[in-house]
Amino acid sequence: MAMRDLVMGGGACVVPGGDGASSSSNPLGGLADSLLGGASKTQERIRELPGLAGPGQSADLGGRPLTYLPGSEFENEFDQRASAQNSQFLQRFGSKFSDAWGDAVNGHMMPPVAHHDREQEAAFRNFEALYPGMDSAGRPPLALDAPPQRVLSGFFQSFLDSSRMDGPFNAVRLPELGLSEADKRRIRDRSSIMGRHFFADKGDEYVNARVNALLQSLDIDNNLKFREPMGGRHPEMEGYWNEVIGARPGGRPLPDQWAEDFHQHHRIPEPGGWAQEFEAQHNGESWGDQFGEHQQQMAARGQFRNGEMNNMAALEQTRSLVNTLAQNQDPKFQNSKFLQFVSKMSRGELIVEDNQVKPGVTNDWANEFQQQHLPPGDQWASEFMGEHQHRGDRWGDEFARRHQEAPSTSDDWVNDFSRLHVQDWADEYAEQVAKNPYGDGSHESWLDSYDKFVGEQMTDLPNRTASSKFVYVFADQNPYVGHPNPLKEGQELFRRGLLSEAVLALEAELLKNPENSEGWRLLGITHAENDDDKQAIASMVRARDADPTNLEVLLALGVGHTNELEQAEALRYLGGWLQNHPQYSKFVQQDVNSLSHSQVTQMVNEAALVAPGDGDVHTVLGVLYNLSREYDRAIQSFQRALELKPRDYSLWNKLGATQANSARSADAIYAYQQALDLKPNYVRAWSNMGIGYANQGRYEESIRYYVRALGMNPKADNVWDYLKISLSSCAARWDMMEACERRELEPLQKEYPL
Amino acid sequence: MPVFKTAYNGYAVRFSPFVENRLAVATAQNFGIIGNGRQYVLELSPNGIVEVVAFDTADGLYDCTWSEDNENILVSASGDGSIKVWDIAAPPMANPIRSLEEHSHEVYSVDWNAVRKDCFLSGSWDDTIRLWTVDMPRSLRVFAEHSYCVYNATWNPRHADIFASASGDCTVRIWDIREPRSTLVIPGHEYEILSCDWNKYNETMLVTGSVDKSLKVWDVRNPRQEVTRLLGHTYAVRRAKFSPHRENLIGSCSYDMTVCVWDYRAPEDALLFRYDHHTEFAVGLDMSTLVDGLLASTAWDESVFVWPQGMDPRA
Repeated sequence: MAMRDLVMGGGACVVPGGDGASSSSNPLGGLADSLLGGASKTQERIRELPGLAGPGQSADLGGRPLTYLPGSEFENEFDQRASAQNSQFLQRFGSKFSDAWGDAVNGHMMPPVAHHDREQEAAFRNFEALYPGMDSAGRPPLALDAPPQRVLSGFFQSFLDSSRMDGPFNAVRLPELGLSEADKRRIRDRSSIMGRHFFADKGDEYVNARVNALLQSLDIDNNLKFREPMGGRHPEMEGYWNEVIGARPGGRPLPDQWAEDFHQHHRIPEPGGWAQEFEAQHNGESWGDQFGEHQQQMAARGQFRNGEMNNMAALEQTRSLVNTLAQNQDPKFQNSKFLQFVSKMSRGELIVEDNQVKPGVTNDWANEFQQQHLPPGDQWASEFMGEHQHRGDRWGDEFARRHQEAPSTSDDWVNDFSRLHVQDWADEYAEQVAKNPYGDGSHESWLDSYDKFVGEQMTDLPNRTASSKFVYVFADQNPYVGHPNPLKEGQELFRRGLLSEAVLALEAELLKNPENSEGWRLLGITHAENDDDKQAIASMVRARDADPTNLEVLLALGVGHTNELEQAEALRYLGGWLQNHPQYSKFVQQDVNSLSHSQVTQMVNEAALVAPGDGDVHTVLGVLYNLSREYDRAIQSFQRALELKPRDYSLWNKLGATQANSARSADAIYAYQQALDLKPNYVRAWSNMGIGYANQGRYEESIRYYVRALGMNPKADNVWDYLKISLSSCAARWDMMEACERRELEPLQKEYPL
Repeated sequence: MPVFKTAYNGYAVRFSPFVENRLAVATAQNFGIIGNGRQYVLELSPNGIVEVVAFDTADGLYDCTWSEDNENILVSASGDGSIKVWDIAAPPMANPIRSLEEHSHEVYSVDWNAVRKDCFLSGSWDDTIRLWTVDMPRSLRVFAEHSYCVYNATWNPRHADIFASASGDCTVRIWDIREPRSTLVIPGHEYEILSCDWNKYNETMLVTGSVDKSLKVWDVRNPRQEVTRLLGHTYAVRRAKFSPHRENLIGSCSYDMTVCVWDYRAPEDALLFRYDHHTEFAVGLDMSTLVDGLLASTAWDESVFVWPQGMDPRA
């Protein structure tokens, strides 16, 4: 099974090699496993198996050659293009389709070849080339691992997973290689069509507005919008329908005539035509038009770009959509990952702009503006216009202010980017391209532009290199510099729970002794507990550099990368933990850098059998199961570990985070509470507690916990972000939103005491 | 009852018509909005549901269907407009053995003809239905009369040449491939129709599932008025299927996360069972033709359940 996982699992589907050992008991699985050997070996083996076709021959598809399928002659009438090709095709082949089609297609490409499995396979590939896919982006059909998509999937996935194990997800800004036009089209079409399926019964206007909104929240060009259905039954059609039915004996209509009329009645409106349609239905009351006009006026006054306007309206729309969904009392809906996904979108945390998926940080002003100026509900359009007559100016100011601030975000962007393991992608990708049997030039061009992109980034920023993805950033001013024994001081501060102070003391130690592994480790743990993952990982990397076999460091790095959803890295460290463990290293027989998830899990399970009383083994298992999202097992492992180490507060926190991830927020809150009872200054547990409440829709409570966490570590950026979300979700006061925006804790602490 | 966890969000499940413990599951990443797809072939074993083979695709997979002619052939509908043909007896490297690329938008439905056994249909968001045989590299016909996305196209189980199609233009069309155009249009619901299926015992009976949360049963001989309307789902009905074993039974799954089984002829309450085992939108449902009462469902919660009707899927 492990072998199969390796070959078929994950994004990489083309990974030949390995020993092909099979542990599967069922014959097909065994066959599949046995086929996983090297390619040449594979073909030999197949021929030995009776009754099975070799590759390329691909079994007996239709059973018999197709002689006649009724109705094919009608094809001429309806699809000239296809039929012309079809008939040529048929002429060339005669009647021996099933055997000869490959050759014949091949015929004008290369000299005829003898029938042989390999040639047939080649012929098939040529056939694919002759009839290329319809993908407008010209993407090769098997571009399974084209990095943009991989990156994106990871991005979406991480949102969905909410990645709250041991610390919340930090929105990661993606590099510019993000979305192709085709991907944009996909997101646009699919989310709009699906959205319509959920909300259609709210009425045409509602749906249209919301579909539009979804598109705009993705910042996708309206002109490219996917068509809408006609929606609803049209009275004139019904009349006609009854007439036709009535006139026909047996009640069967004349199909052709009816269809003709039907078509005419329901020509799909032009893109953007919903507004007109709406107008037509509501004579004179054309808010669509007015909206447009208003938009133009505003634009003419130079107060904002169209896009901003669209985004703002869109966000409001998507939010209503989420509210509608959220009104469903069913706790299942409340816990739906899909709902969370859409709501991320609606809060502007996820937008697609200039071919990038970004968290909508720079657009949050729109968000807040709406929160303040628009009451929730369906009357948003009229409200919007009404409000704007009066508040246009103020809004403009607000916008201008934001825009001045906007450039400052570019630095964060680089930081985040550097965390994305650029080099790893590039390597991994190059490897896959090399192995891809369908490899062709189109990959190269992508790589080129990618290299160029990376190059530009690097030249812009001389002091950052690809290897410095985790650079520890020391504080500017440190009162502990010059302290006689900063390490001891740091340990003492950590023990007392003064985490931010402990960080400074430990930094002072490390400025003095940069190779102090223990110092780096403790600093890493302090940062993790203080809810700063970036610095935590950077510290742990330094700790590992100083002492590559320290078990606690390896485990901490495994956890850190699990939080960041970097499976390969996490596995490497967890495997390394096992390898360096004096008791368990015997279970590791292979290179730890190439172990699959199931291999590592199996080895750790073996270790757990040998040493059932070692809490660390169960902790590692819990982390591994989190990686594979087997939350039930993860919870069991952590609970087992807690039986052995009931006073390990970080274990309670891990248990809570896992429970939160598997939609058991109530259990999670109990676990966090245990952690806090053991360690009252555990910032991460406070903020996780907030997330736990927010997940249950108890925003007011979540705010109190976030504020408490920030009181202890005002530098926890992600907690500020979460606070903002909760404030906007419970329609908090404008001045509270502003305080949050300015990062002024005092008014918030006054308003939201715990 | 056994449950299987998929890596991506489940979209469709189909029992093999040849092997009673085998099923195919089509999945897509990120709820099918963007990302890769994976076609699973699973088997029920004494140890639960085990994976036989899995194929990865560049785009999400929305539906799948087994060949009625060769137990190893399987077809999937892909978001990139292509139709992938798999041979589960061929090595992974040789798969897909075909990639049929004519649809210009997402392919949302595939269905194999169980009478002729040599052809299948695909329904797409490009508003067309295409007719294919696996031994031809191009589609044999295009049926282009719907004015919006085709969400489902299903062969009649008795007549080799008849099929029905459900569309976002709020109609169901009935087609006879011997005819140049569709033979009947039923403006079946006020809202988009996501699914349709034929009764396996009464060749004129059809069930439709719609965004309006209802199912309707139709007799195509009298298409003016539905035979009955089944209410109970609280969100759009994603799939509706007649039982292969009981004439009166209909299974359905919905965005309300439940799977329901109905007796459409019941005088009082048509709803027989409501299964609440999924935690995200339930979008894939099948009823085994080889084992009476065996159900399979999949959902966006990345799980596949197989259970006998009347039992708790989670038990």
